Amino acid sequence: MAESGSDVHSLSPDRFLEEVHSFEFWFHAVEGYLSATRFGRRPQTQEAPLSESERDRLITVLCHYCVGETAALEASSGLIAIAPNRLAKVFLATQVVDEGRHLEVLLHRLQDLGVTEPEQEIERRATGSLLAFKRRLLELVEGRDWEAAIFAQNVILESLEFTVFQAHAETADPVTRDVLQGIVKDERRHIGFGENELGRRLKVSPHVRARLAAVRHELDPLVLASCDETMAQLGTPPAERPEIGRSYLAAVHRLGFA
Amino acid sequence: MNGDADSKLAGAAADGETSKPRQRFVLEETGFDEVPEKYRKYYRKWKGPSDDLGPNEVLCPVCKVVIRSTRELRPGDRVYCMACFTRFTVTRSELGALEATIEY
Repeated sequence: MAESGSDVHSLSPDRFLEEVHSFEFWFHAVEGYLSATRFGRRPQTQEAPLSESERDRLITVLCHYCVGETAALEASSGLIAIAPNRLAKVFLATQVVDEGRHLEVLLHRLQDLGVTEPEQEIERRATGSLLAFKRRLLELVEGRDWEAAIFAQNVILESLEFTVFQAHAETADPVTRDVLQGIVKDERRHIGFGENELGRRLKVSPHVRARLAAVRHELDPLVLASCDETMAQLGTPPAERPEIGRSYLAAVHRLGFA
Repeated sequence: MNGDADSKLAGAAADGETSKPRQRFVLEETGFDEVPEKYRKYYRKWKGPSDDLGPNEVLCPVCKVVIRSTRELRPGDRVYCMACFTRFTVTRSELGALEATIEY
């Protein structure tokens, strides 16, 4: 913990890592933006009227998000067992809590929108590409492939969610915007953990790069297709959709997968 | 600015900037709420490409949060983004702007 009055940037790298991966850090971070909300919604935020077609498209998009969040919840909990050190295990425990919360607030939003059986609705509206991505991610976790699973979950999935949720929040109705903005704040930690964890491992084990490139080759089309489907539902013009992948592409470029 | 903390700040400018004393800044919270309270003044929301960064600020390229320091930043300085757990070294781009370069 930084001493009172000292500069945060004066922490040693090891002390910094210890601090940000702690449950203590997580607790005081989320307290800042979640304590005044209920199911991700600020009390002063009012519901805006939606047309029937807007409501239906929003339900479809939220169902897609629920598949992604369920995949991340199941995968991040499985990853704790194979995490290589205590800091990664503790961080993943906080990510499990985040993902569980994301799923809960999205399900609650579906109920707000009049969906009486959200889990059945998610099953009905889920896309094949998203389900295939989820299945493959869980296979990587079950296969105890730490680097590939972190790459698939915290770099590919989380980066694309981060950008899609940010873009969606800009045009969403006020309540959905509250929910998405809260999720995006959590996603910053998830994408940063993934990129830094892989960056450190690639530095000492460059041979891992070829395996991750193969994972990327396999999973990119699935997650990009599902992004495209979601952006179509949101009414984002095709010309603007490539921008959605920019955060993810920047991350893989920094990791050396240009 | 705490003098002891000053001496612990990593890095030194590798060019003529070392000869000039660094500007000092008093940081105030700007509503950034994604890190514990004691760290919030070191960060602010980025307002997009038109956002003019101060000489004590640099943009986190991973999560697009503005990282702030109590002193003017110079190439070689170390800064952290606590919102995404990333360590950076401050560099100067070809266009002369300060940038954050990731250190894994």
